[in-house]
Amino acid sequence: MSYYTKIGFRVYISDIMTVIMLLSKLYKKYHYSLILLRELVITEFKLRYQGSVLGYFWSLLKPLFLFVILYFVFVYFLRVGEGIPHWPVAMLVGIVLWTFFSEVTNNGLNSIVARGDVIRKINFPKYVIVFASSISALINLVLNFIIIAIFMIISGVDLQWSALLTPLFIFEIFAFGIGLAFILSALQVRLRDTSYIWEIVMQALFYGSAVLYPITMVIDQNLMLAKILMLNPVAQAIQDVRHMLISEQNATLQTISDGAWWSVIPFVLVLVILIVGALYFKRRSPYFAEEV
Amino acid sequence: MKDDIVIKVDGVSKNFRLPHEKNSSLKSLIIHPFRKRRSVESQHALHDISFEVKKGEFFGILGRNGSGKSTMLKILAEIYRPTKGSVQVSGKLVPFIELGVGFNPELTGRENVYLNGALLGFSKKEIDSKYKDIVEFAELEDSMDQKLKNYSSGMQVRLAFSVATRAEADILLIDEVLAVGDADFQRKCFEYFRSLKTSGKTVVFVTHDMVAVKDFCDKAILIEDSKMIYKGTAAAAADRYLKLFS
Repeated sequence: MSYYTKIGFRVYISDIMTVIMLLSKLYKKYHYSLILLRELVITEFKLRYQGSVLGYFWSLLKPLFLFVILYFVFVYFLRVGEGIPHWPVAMLVGIVLWTFFSEVTNNGLNSIVARGDVIRKINFPKYVIVFASSISALINLVLNFIIIAIFMIISGVDLQWSALLTPLFIFEIFAFGIGLAFILSALQVRLRDTSYIWEIVMQALFYGSAVLYPITMVIDQNLMLAKILMLNPVAQAIQDVRHMLISEQNATLQTISDGAWWSVIPFVLVLVILIVGALYFKRRSPYFAEEV
Repeated sequence: MKDDIVIKVDGVSKNFRLPHEKNSSLKSLIIHPFRKRRSVESQHALHDISFEVKKGEFFGILGRNGSGKSTMLKILAEIYRPTKGSVQVSGKLVPFIELGVGFNPELTGRENVYLNGALLGFSKKEIDSKYKDIVEFAELEDSMDQKLKNYSSGMQVRLAFSVATRAEADILLIDEVLAVGDADFQRKCFEYFRSLKTSGKTVVFVTHDMVAVKDFCDKAILIEDSKMIYKGTAAAAADRYLKLFS
Protein backbone atom coordinates (compact mmCIF):
# COMPACT_ATOMS: atom_id res chain seq x y z
CA MET A 1 0.00 0.00 0.00
CA SER A 2 1.39 3.33 -0.94
CA TYR A 3 1.80 6.21 1.41
CA TYR A 4 -0.61 8.36 -0.55
CA THR A 5 -3.63 6.14 -0.33
CA LYS A 6 -3.13 5.88 3.40
CA ILE A 7 -3.17 9.66 3.78
CA GLY A 8 -6.07 9.94 1.39
CA PHE A 9 -8.04 7.43 3.42
CA ARG A 10 -7.38 9.23 6.65
CA VAL A 11 -8.55 12.54 5.22
CA TYR A 12 -11.65 10.81 3.97
CA ILE A 13 -12.56 9.47 7.42
CA SER A 14 -11.95 12.76 9.16
CA ASP A 15 -14.05 14.53 6.53
CA ILE A 16 -16.95 12.25 7.27
CA MET A 17 -16.46 12.82 10.98
CA THR A 18 -16.55 16.60 10.51
CA VAL A 19 -19.72 16.36 8.46
CA ILE A 20 -21.37 14.13 11.05
CA MET A 21 -20.32 16.45 13.87
CA LEU A 22 -21.67 19.40 11.95
CA LEU A 23 -24.95 17.66 11.23
CA SER A 24 -25.45 16.61 14.84
CA LYS A 25 -24.65 20.17 15.94
CA LEU A 26 -27.18 21.54 13.47
CA TYR A 27 -29.71 18.95 14.60
CA LYS A 28 -29.22 19.91 18.24
CA LYS A 29 -29.53 23.59 17.44
CA TYR A 30 -32.73 23.17 15.48
CA HIS A 31 -34.18 20.18 17.35
CA TYR A 32 -36.55 22.34 19.40
CA SER A 33 -37.60 24.33 16.33
CA LEU A 34 -38.40 21.15 14.43
CA ILE A 35 -40.47 19.65 17.26
CA LEU A 36 -42.37 22.90 17.53
CA LEU A 37 -42.85 23.27 13.78
CA ARG A 38 -44.30 19.78 13.59
CA GLU A 39 -46.80 20.32 16.42
CA LEU A 40 -47.85 23.77 15.21
CA VAL A 41 -48.49 22.44 11.71
CA ILE A 42 -50.51 19.50 13.03
CA THR A 43 -52.54 21.82 15.24
CA GLU A 44 -53.28 24.20 12.41
CA PHE A 45 -54.19 21.29 10.18
CA LYS A 46 -56.64 19.93 12.75
CA LEU A 47 -58.17 23.27 13.59
CA ARG A 48 -58.65 24.52 10.05
CA TYR A 49 -61.52 22.34 8.95
CA GLN A 50 -62.88 21.37 12.32
CA GLY A 51 -66.60 20.93 12.39
CA SER A 52 -66.87 20.80 8.61
CA VAL A 53 -68.21 17.61 7.07
CA LEU A 54 -65.96 17.53 4.03
CA GLY A 55 -62.91 18.71 5.96
CA TYR A 56 -59.73 18.95 3.98
CA PHE A 57 -61.64 18.12 0.83
CA TRP A 58 -62.55 21.83 0.77
CA SER A 59 -58.96 22.60 -0.13
CA LEU A 60 -59.67 20.81 -3.42
CA LEU A 61 -63.21 22.03 -3.90
CA LYS A 62 -62.49 25.72 -3.35
CA PRO A 63 -60.06 26.21 -6.26
CA LEU A 64 -62.17 23.89 -8.40
CA PHE A 65 -65.30 26.00 -8.02
CA LEU A 66 -63.31 29.21 -8.36
CA PHE A 67 -61.95 27.84 -11.60
CA VAL A 68 -65.41 26.92 -12.90
CA ILE A 69 -66.70 30.44 -12.17
CA LEU A 70 -63.70 32.19 -13.68
CA TYR A 71 -63.79 29.86 -16.66
CA PHE A 72 -67.34 30.90 -17.46
CA VAL A 73 -66.69 34.60 -16.97
CA PHE A 74 -63.33 34.97 -18.65
CA VAL A 75 -62.99 32.13 -21.11
CA TYR A 76 -66.57 31.43 -22.10
CA PHE A 77 -68.10 34.92 -22.15
CA LEU A 78 -65.21 37.35 -22.43
CA ARG A 79 -63.27 35.00 -24.72
CA VAL A 80 -59.96 35.78 -23.03
CA GLY A 81 -57.00 33.72 -24.13
CA GLU A 82 -58.25 32.61 -27.51
CA GLY A 83 -55.42 31.38 -29.67
CA ILE A 84 -53.32 30.24 -26.73
CA PRO A 85 -53.30 26.46 -26.51
CA HIS A 86 -54.83 25.06 -23.32
CA TRP A 87 -55.45 28.55 -21.94
CA PRO A 88 -58.05 27.41 -19.36
CA VAL A 89 -55.48 25.09 -17.79
CA ALA A 90 -52.85 27.81 -17.94
CA MET A 91 -55.31 30.10 -16.18
CA LEU A 92 -55.85 27.46 -13.51
CA VAL A 93 -52.08 27.22 -13.00
CA GLY A 94 -52.05 30.98 -12.50
CA ILE A 95 -54.91 30.89 -10.00
CA VAL A 96 -53.32 28.07 -8.01
CA LEU A 97 -49.89 29.70 -7.86
CA TRP A 98 -51.39 33.05 -6.96
CA THR A 99 -53.48 31.46 -4.20
CA PHE A 100 -50.31 29.86 -2.88
CA PHE A 101 -48.47 33.18 -2.78
CA SER A 102 -51.45 34.89 -1.20
CA GLU A 103 -51.78 32.21 1.50
CA VAL A 104 -48.09 32.27 2.39
CA THR A 105 -48.07 36.05 2.84
CA ASN A 106 -51.49 36.43 4.46
CA ASN A 107 -51.12 33.48 6.86
CA GLY A 108 -47.65 34.70 7.72
CA LEU A 109 -48.74 38.30 8.24
CA ASN A 110 -51.22 37.35 10.95
CA SER A 111 -49.25 34.47 12.45
CA ILE A 112 -47.23 36.35 15.08
CA VAL A 113 -50.11 38.48 16.36
CA ALA A 114 -52.36 35.42 16.43
CA ARG A 115 -49.88 33.60 18.68
CA GLY A 116 -49.42 36.58 20.96
CA ASP A 117 -50.66 34.74 24.03
CA VAL A 118 -48.02 32.04 23.70
CA ILE A 119 -45.23 34.52 22.87
CA ARG A 120 -45.95 36.39 26.09
CA LYS A 121 -45.49 33.25 28.17
CA ILE A 122 -42.63 31.24 26.79
CA ASN A 123 -39.50 31.92 24.79
CA PHE A 124 -39.05 30.00 21.58
CA PRO A 125 -37.74 30.71 18.09
CA LYS A 126 -40.45 32.92 16.62
CA TYR A 127 -39.63 32.21 12.99
CA VAL A 128 -41.11 28.74 13.52
CA ILE A 129 -44.56 30.35 13.73
CA VAL A 130 -44.16 32.00 10.34
CA PHE A 131 -42.90 28.78 8.76
CA ALA A 132 -45.71 26.74 10.32
CA SER A 133 -48.28 29.12 8.87
CA SER A 134 -46.80 28.64 5.41
CA ILE A 135 -46.84 24.84 5.53
CA SER A 136 -50.61 24.67 5.20
CA ALA A 137 -50.31 26.79 2.06
CA LEU A 138 -47.76 24.28 0.78
CA ILE A 139 -50.10 21.36 1.48
CA ASN A 140 -52.91 23.16 -0.34
CA LEU A 141 -50.61 23.75 -3.28
CA VAL A 142 -49.80 20.06 -3.59
CA LEU A 143 -53.50 19.17 -3.47
CA ASN A 144 -54.29 21.83 -6.06
CA PHE A 145 -51.70 20.41 -8.41
CA ILE A 146 -53.72 17.18 -8.43
CA ILE A 147 -56.59 19.20 -9.94
CA ILE A 148 -54.21 20.80 -12.41
CA ALA A 149 -52.96 17.36 -13.47
CA ILE A 150 -56.51 16.18 -14.06
CA PHE A 151 -57.30 19.19 -16.24
CA MET A 152 -54.03 18.78 -18.09
CA ILE A 153 -55.03 15.24 -19.03
CA ILE A 154 -58.56 16.32 -20.03
CA SER A 155 -57.19 19.19 -22.09
CA GLY A 156 -54.60 16.94 -23.72
CA VAL A 157 -51.49 18.88 -22.72
CA ASP A 158 -48.33 17.53 -24.29
CA LEU A 159 -45.96 17.22 -21.34
CA GLN A 160 -42.33 18.24 -21.95
CA TRP A 161 -39.23 17.33 -19.99
CA SER A 162 -38.94 20.98 -19.01
CA ALA A 163 -41.97 20.44 -16.76
CA LEU A 164 -39.51 19.02 -14.24
CA LEU A 165 -38.30 22.58 -13.64
CA THR A 166 -41.68 23.59 -12.19
CA PRO A 167 -40.69 23.03 -8.51
CA LEU A 168 -37.88 25.51 -8.99
CA PHE A 169 -40.32 28.31 -9.73
CA ILE A 170 -42.65 27.21 -6.96
CA PHE A 171 -39.68 27.49 -4.65
CA GLU A 172 -39.07 30.97 -6.01
CA ILE A 173 -42.64 32.02 -5.14
CA PHE A 174 -42.28 30.39 -1.72
CA ALA A 175 -39.00 32.19 -0.99
CA PHE A 176 -40.50 35.52 -2.08
CA GLY A 177 -43.65 34.90 -0.03
CA ILE A 178 -41.86 33.80 3.14
CA GLY A 179 -39.47 36.78 2.92
CA LEU A 180 -42.46 39.10 2.69
CA ALA A 181 -44.21 37.15 5.48
CA PHE A 182 -41.25 37.82 7.79
CA ILE A 183 -41.37 41.54 7.09
CA LEU A 184 -45.17 41.79 7.25
CA SER A 185 -45.62 39.72 10.43
CA ALA A 186 -43.05 41.83 12.30
CA LEU A 187 -44.63 45.05 10.99
CA GLN A 188 -48.10 43.86 11.95
CA VAL A 189 -46.98 43.61 15.58
CA ARG A 190 -46.16 47.33 15.64
CA LEU A 191 -48.69 48.68 13.19
CA ARG A 192 -52.01 46.90 12.76
CA ASP A 193 -52.66 48.77 9.52
CA THR A 194 -50.20 46.50 7.81
CA SER A 195 -52.87 43.91 7.04
CA TYR A 196 -55.14 46.47 5.38
CA ILE A 197 -52.33 47.97 3.35
CA TRP A 198 -51.21 44.52 2.29
CA GLU A 199 -54.74 43.65 1.19
CA ILE A 200 -54.72 46.58 -1.22
CA VAL A 201 -51.21 45.82 -2.47
CA MET A 202 -52.26 42.22 -3.12
CA GLN A 203 -55.30 43.38 -5.05
CA ALA A 204 -53.09 45.52 -7.30
CA LEU A 205 -50.49 42.76 -7.66
CA PHE A 206 -53.19 40.26 -8.56
CA TYR A 207 -54.40 42.24 -11.55
CA GLY A 208 -50.82 43.10 -12.45
CA SER A 209 -49.68 39.50 -12.44
CA ALA A 210 -51.54 38.27 -15.51
CA VAL A 211 -53.36 35.58 -13.56
CA LEU A 212 -56.74 35.77 -15.29
CA TYR A 213 -55.55 37.00 -18.65
CA PRO A 214 -52.61 35.97 -20.83
CA ILE A 215 -49.61 38.29 -20.72
CA THR A 216 -49.75 38.44 -24.52
CA MET A 217 -52.74 40.80 -24.17
CA VAL A 218 -50.42 43.32 -22.50
CA ILE A 219 -47.52 42.61 -24.84
CA ASP A 220 -49.70 43.39 -27.86
CA GLN A 221 -50.67 46.77 -26.47
CA ASN A 222 -47.59 47.93 -24.63
CA LEU A 223 -44.44 45.83 -24.55
CA MET A 224 -42.73 48.11 -22.05
CA LEU A 225 -45.60 47.71 -19.57
CA ALA A 226 -45.51 43.95 -20.01
CA LYS A 227 -41.81 43.94 -19.23
CA ILE A 228 -42.35 46.02 -16.09
CA LEU A 229 -45.19 43.78 -14.91
CA MET A 230 -43.03 40.74 -15.39
CA LEU A 231 -40.36 42.06 -13.05
CA ASN A 232 -42.70 41.02 -10.25
CA PRO A 233 -41.35 37.59 -9.23
CA VAL A 234 -44.85 36.10 -8.89
CA ALA A 235 -45.87 37.15 -12.41
CA GLN A 236 -42.56 35.97 -13.80
CA ALA A 237 -42.77 32.60 -12.03
CA ILE A 238 -46.38 32.03 -13.11
CA GLN A 239 -45.46 32.66 -16.74
CA ASP A 240 -42.43 30.39 -16.48
CA VAL A 241 -44.51 27.55 -15.06
CA ARG A 242 -47.13 28.04 -17.78
CA HIS A 243 -44.35 27.97 -20.34
CA MET A 244 -42.72 24.81 -18.99
CA LEU A 245 -45.82 22.89 -17.98
CA ILE A 246 -48.61 23.83 -20.39
CA SER A 247 -47.46 25.40 -23.63
CA GLU A 248 -44.37 27.14 -24.93
CA GLN A 249 -46.57 29.81 -26.41
CA ASN A 250 -46.87 31.37 -22.97
CA ALA A 251 -44.41 34.25 -23.03
CA THR A 252 -41.88 34.47 -20.23
CA LEU A 253 -39.62 37.25 -19.08
CA GLN A 254 -36.74 35.46 -20.83
CA THR A 255 -38.58 35.29 -24.16
CA ILE A 256 -39.74 38.93 -24.18
CA SER A 257 -36.46 40.36 -22.95
CA ASP A 258 -34.27 38.23 -25.23
CA GLY A 259 -32.25 37.34 -22.17
CA ALA A 260 -31.23 40.91 -21.42
CA TRP A 261 -29.42 41.56 -18.14
CA TRP A 262 -32.47 42.98 -16.42
CA SER A 263 -34.33 39.71 -16.78
CA VAL A 264 -32.56 38.57 -13.60
CA ILE A 265 -34.19 41.38 -11.61
CA PRO A 266 -37.02 39.17 -10.23
CA PHE A 267 -34.50 36.67 -8.84
CA VAL A 268 -32.42 39.43 -7.29
CA LEU A 269 -35.62 40.86 -5.83
CA VAL A 270 -36.51 37.51 -4.23
CA LEU A 271 -33.05 37.26 -2.71
CA VAL A 272 -33.14 40.82 -1.40
CA ILE A 273 -36.61 40.42 0.14
CA LEU A 274 -35.58 37.12 1.73
CA ILE A 275 -32.44 38.58 3.31
CA VAL A 276 -34.08 41.83 4.38
CA GLY A 277 -37.04 39.88 5.78
CA ALA A 278 -34.85 37.48 7.77
CA LEU A 279 -32.70 40.29 9.18
CA TYR A 280 -35.63 42.55 10.06
CA PHE A 281 -37.50 39.68 11.72
CA LYS A 282 -34.42 38.64 13.68
CA ARG A 283 -33.96 42.19 14.91
CA ARG A 284 -37.58 42.69 15.94
CA SER A 285 -38.39 39.27 17.39
CA PRO A 286 -36.86 39.81 20.88
CA TYR A 287 -39.45 42.56 21.40
CA PHE A 288 -42.52 40.67 20.18
CA ALA A 289 -43.43 39.59 23.72
CA GLU A 290 -43.82 43.16 24.98
CA GLU A 291 -45.25 44.70 21.82
CA VAL A 292 -47.72 42.14 20.60
CA MET B 1 -19.44 32.01 36.33
CA LYS B 2 -18.48 29.88 39.27
CA ASP B 3 -19.46 26.25 39.08
CA ASP B 4 -22.23 26.30 41.63
CA ILE B 5 -23.91 29.46 40.37
CA VAL B 6 -26.52 28.68 37.72
CA ILE B 7 -28.23 32.05 37.38
CA LYS B 8 -26.36 35.32 37.55
CA VAL B 9 -28.37 38.52 37.24
CA ASP B 10 -26.21 41.58 36.96
CA GLY B 11 -27.59 45.11 37.17
CA VAL B 12 -30.77 44.34 35.26
CA SER B 13 -33.16 47.17 34.47
CA LYS B 14 -36.25 47.00 32.33
CA ASN B 15 -38.13 49.91 30.87
CA PHE B 16 -41.32 49.47 28.96
CA ARG B 17 -42.20 52.07 26.42
CA LEU B 18 -45.85 52.77 26.89
CA PRO B 19 -47.28 55.18 24.36
CA HIS B 20 -49.88 57.42 25.98
CA GLU B 21 -52.01 57.51 22.95
CA LYS B 22 -51.45 54.22 21.31
CA ASN B 23 -50.30 54.98 17.81
CA SER B 24 -50.73 51.66 16.18
CA SER B 25 -53.10 53.05 13.60
CA LEU B 26 -52.41 55.17 10.57
CA LYS B 27 -55.58 57.13 11.13
CA SER B 28 -54.25 58.96 14.15
CA LEU B 29 -51.10 59.60 12.18
CA ILE B 30 -53.07 61.18 9.35
CA ILE B 31 -55.51 63.12 11.51
CA HIS B 32 -52.79 64.48 13.79
CA PRO B 33 -49.74 64.49 11.55
CA PHE B 34 -47.84 67.08 13.59
CA ARG B 35 -48.80 66.02 17.05
CA LYS B 36 -45.78 65.04 19.03
CA ARG B 37 -45.83 61.31 18.95
CA ARG B 38 -43.06 61.05 21.44
CA SER B 39 -45.50 61.16 24.31
CA VAL B 40 -44.16 57.75 25.12
CA GLU B 41 -43.87 57.16 28.79
CA SER B 42 -41.00 55.05 29.84
CA GLN B 43 -42.18 52.86 32.65
CA HIS B 44 -39.46 51.52 34.86
CA ALA B 45 -40.51 48.00 35.66
CA LEU B 46 -37.20 46.99 37.17
CA HIS B 47 -34.27 49.03 38.37
CA ASP B 48 -30.76 47.69 38.85
CA ILE B 49 -31.48 44.20 40.12
CA SER B 50 -28.57 41.88 40.87
CA PHE B 51 -28.60 38.44 42.43
CA GLU B 52 -27.20 34.97 42.04
CA VAL B 53 -28.88 31.61 42.32
CA LYS B 54 -26.83 28.57 43.26
CA LYS B 55 -27.35 25.08 41.97
CA GLY B 56 -30.04 23.21 43.87
CA GLU B 57 -31.40 26.32 45.53
CA PHE B 58 -35.06 27.16 45.94
CA PHE B 59 -35.05 30.86 45.26
CA GLY B 60 -38.04 33.09 46.01
CA ILE B 61 -38.91 36.37 44.32
CA LEU B 62 -41.35 38.25 46.52
CA GLY B 63 -43.16 41.50 46.09
CA ARG B 64 -46.54 43.13 45.90
CA ASN B 65 -48.73 43.20 42.83
CA GLY B 66 -47.14 45.36 40.18
CA SER B 67 -43.78 45.49 41.93
CA GLY B 68 -42.01 43.96 38.93
CA LYS B 69 -41.44 40.40 40.12
CA SER B 70 -43.21 38.81 37.17
CA THR B 71 -41.18 40.99 34.82
CA MET B 72 -38.06 39.65 36.52
CA LEU B 73 -39.24 36.12 35.91
CA LYS B 74 -39.94 36.85 32.26
CA ILE B 75 -36.46 38.28 31.86
CA LEU B 76 -35.00 35.11 33.37
CA ALA B 77 -37.09 33.12 30.91
CA GLU B 78 -35.75 35.27 28.05
CA ILE B 79 -39.26 36.33 27.13
CA TYR B 80 -38.25 39.95 27.68
CA ARG B 81 -34.87 41.38 26.90
CA PRO B 82 -33.46 43.56 29.70
CA THR B 83 -32.96 47.24 28.86
CA LYS B 84 -29.74 47.28 30.87
CA GLY B 85 -27.64 44.65 32.55
CA SER B 86 -27.19 41.00 31.80
CA VAL B 87 -28.54 37.60 32.74
CA GLN B 88 -26.45 34.45 32.53
CA VAL B 89 -28.07 31.07 32.86
CA SER B 90 -26.29 27.74 32.73
CA GLY B 91 -28.35 24.61 32.21
CA LYS B 92 -31.72 23.92 30.67
CA LEU B 93 -34.34 26.31 31.94
CA VAL B 94 -38.08 25.70 31.70
CA PRO B 95 -40.50 28.48 32.62
CA PHE B 96 -43.98 28.09 34.01
CA ILE B 97 -45.20 31.64 33.75
CA GLU B 98 -48.59 30.20 33.20
CA LEU B 99 -49.76 26.63 33.09
CA GLY B 100 -50.92 25.15 29.83
CA VAL B 101 -49.19 27.52 27.43
CA GLY B 102 -50.68 27.10 24.00
CA PHE B 103 -53.68 25.13 25.23
CA ASN B 104 -56.41 25.34 22.64
CA PRO B 105 -60.06 24.78 23.66
CA GLU B 106 -60.90 23.27 20.27
CA LEU B 107 -58.35 20.47 20.60
CA THR B 108 -58.76 17.32 22.66
CA GLY B 109 -56.90 16.79 25.90
CA ARG B 110 -54.53 14.41 24.15
CA GLU B 111 -53.74 16.86 21.34
CA ASN B 112 -53.16 19.63 23.85
CA VAL B 113 -50.68 17.48 25.75
CA TYR B 114 -48.60 17.08 22.60
CA LEU B 115 -48.82 20.77 21.68
CA ASN B 116 -48.01 22.00 25.17
CA GLY B 117 -45.27 19.41 25.43
CA ALA B 118 -43.71 20.62 22.19
CA LEU B 119 -43.58 24.16 23.56
CA LEU B 120 -41.74 22.77 26.58
CA GLY B 121 -39.32 21.01 24.24
CA PHE B 122 -40.62 17.44 24.11
CA SER B 123 -40.61 15.53 20.86
CA LYS B 124 -43.56 13.33 19.98
CA LYS B 125 -41.61 10.22 20.95
CA GLU B 126 -40.74 11.62 24.35
CA ILE B 127 -44.37 12.43 25.07
CA ASP B 128 -45.48 9.03 23.81
CA SER B 129 -43.36 7.48 26.53
CA LYS B 130 -44.61 9.84 29.24
CA TYR B 131 -48.20 10.02 28.11
CA LYS B 132 -49.57 7.37 30.48
CA ASP B 133 -47.89 8.99 33.46
CA ILE B 134 -49.19 12.40 32.51
CA VAL B 135 -52.77 11.18 32.26
CA GLU B 136 -52.55 9.22 35.50
CA PHE B 137 -51.05 12.10 37.43
CA ALA B 138 -53.81 14.40 36.16
CA GLU B 139 -56.46 11.76 36.98
CA LEU B 140 -58.08 12.28 33.59
CA GLU B 141 -58.04 8.76 32.17
CA ASP B 142 -61.60 9.03 30.84
CA SER B 143 -61.56 12.48 29.29
CA MET B 144 -58.43 12.62 27.16
CA ASP B 145 -60.35 12.42 23.89
CA GLN B 146 -62.76 15.14 24.81
CA LYS B 147 -62.22 18.67 23.66
CA LEU B 148 -60.56 20.91 26.18
CA LYS B 149 -63.47 23.35 26.09
CA ASN B 150 -65.57 20.68 27.78
CA TYR B 151 -63.13 20.37 30.67
CA SER B 152 -63.77 22.13 33.94
CA SER B 153 -61.13 24.70 34.84
CA GLY B 154 -59.86 22.36 37.54
CA MET B 155 -59.38 19.57 35.00
CA GLN B 156 -57.51 21.91 32.65
CA VAL B 157 -55.15 23.03 35.36
CA ARG B 158 -54.53 19.45 36.45
CA LEU B 159 -53.66 18.42 32.92
CA ALA B 160 -51.39 21.42 32.42
CA PHE B 161 -49.63 20.85 35.71
CA SER B 162 -49.20 17.20 34.92
CA VAL B 163 -47.41 17.98 31.64
CA ALA B 164 -45.34 20.63 33.37
CA THR B 165 -44.10 18.21 36.02
CA ARG B 166 -42.60 16.02 33.28
CA ALA B 167 -40.32 18.80 32.09
CA GLU B 168 -36.73 17.70 32.33
CA ALA B 169 -35.07 20.90 33.33
CA ASP B 170 -32.13 21.88 35.48
CA ILE B 171 -33.82 25.13 36.39
CA LEU B 172 -37.55 25.71 36.78
CA LEU B 173 -39.22 29.10 36.90
CA ILE B 174 -42.55 28.95 38.64
CA ASP B 175 -45.05 31.79 38.86
CA GLU B 176 -47.75 31.13 41.44
CA VAL B 177 -48.93 27.89 40.01
CA LEU B 178 -48.98 26.13 43.33
CA ALA B 179 -52.32 25.53 44.93
CA VAL B 180 -54.27 24.39 41.95
CA GLY B 181 -57.17 22.00 41.94
CA ASP B 182 -58.79 20.40 44.95
CA ALA B 183 -57.13 19.48 48.22
CA ASP B 184 -56.12 16.06 47.01
CA PHE B 185 -54.41 17.43 43.92
CA GLN B 186 -52.78 20.20 45.92
CA ARG B 187 -51.18 17.59 48.11
CA LYS B 188 -49.76 15.98 44.96
CA CYS B 189 -48.38 19.31 43.84
CA PHE B 190 -46.63 19.91 47.13
CA GLU B 191 -45.24 16.41 46.98
CA TYR B 192 -43.87 17.24 43.55
CA PHE B 193 -42.25 20.39 44.87
CA ARG B 194 -40.66 18.45 47.71
CA SER B 195 -39.35 15.92 45.19
CA LEU B 196 -37.82 18.78 43.20
CA LYS B 197 -36.08 19.89 46.33
CA THR B 198 -34.65 16.52 47.11
CA SER B 199 -33.62 15.83 43.51
CA GLY B 200 -31.39 18.90 43.52
CA LYS B 201 -33.25 20.95 40.90
CA THR B 202 -32.90 24.68 40.97
CA VAL B 203 -36.20 26.49 41.29
CA VAL B 204 -37.00 30.18 41.05
CA PHE B 205 -40.34 30.80 42.59
CA VAL B 206 -42.65 33.84 42.50
CA THR B 207 -45.50 33.87 44.95
CA HIS B 208 -47.61 35.73 47.48
CA ASP B 209 -47.92 32.72 49.70
CA MET B 210 -45.50 33.34 52.57
CA VAL B 211 -46.20 29.96 54.11
CA ALA B 212 -44.97 28.31 50.94
CA VAL B 213 -41.95 30.61 50.83
CA LYS B 214 -40.92 29.70 54.37
CA ASP B 215 -41.64 26.06 53.63
CA PHE B 216 -39.68 25.69 50.40
CA CYS B 217 -37.36 28.56 49.70
CA ASP B 218 -33.77 28.82 50.90
CA LYS B 219 -33.05 32.31 49.72
CA ALA B 220 -35.26 35.11 48.49
CA ILE B 221 -35.29 38.66 47.25
CA LEU B 222 -37.97 41.23 47.87
CA ILE B 223 -38.87 43.68 45.13
CA GLU B 224 -40.79 46.86 45.91
CA ASP B 225 -41.45 49.64 43.41
CA SER B 226 -39.17 47.99 40.84
CA LYS B 227 -36.19 48.05 43.21
CA MET B 228 -34.72 45.19 45.14
CA ILE B 229 -35.08 46.13 48.81
CA TYR B 230 -33.99 42.90 50.40
CA LYS B 231 -31.80 39.94 49.57
CA GLY B 232 -31.19 37.14 52.01
CA THR B 233 -32.78 34.15 53.67
CA ALA B 234 -36.32 33.24 52.74
CA ALA B 235 -37.67 33.58 56.27
CA ALA B 236 -36.30 37.10 56.69
CA ALA B 237 -37.54 38.14 53.25
CA ALA B 238 -40.99 36.81 54.06
CA ASP B 239 -41.06 38.84 57.29
CA ARG B 240 -40.00 41.97 55.44
CA TYR B 241 -42.74 41.32 52.90
CA LEU B 242 -45.40 41.06 55.60
CA LYS B 243 -44.14 44.32 57.15
CA LEU B 244 -44.88 46.11 53.86
CA PHE B 245 -48.55 45.78 54.65
CA SER B 246 -48.49 46.90 58.28
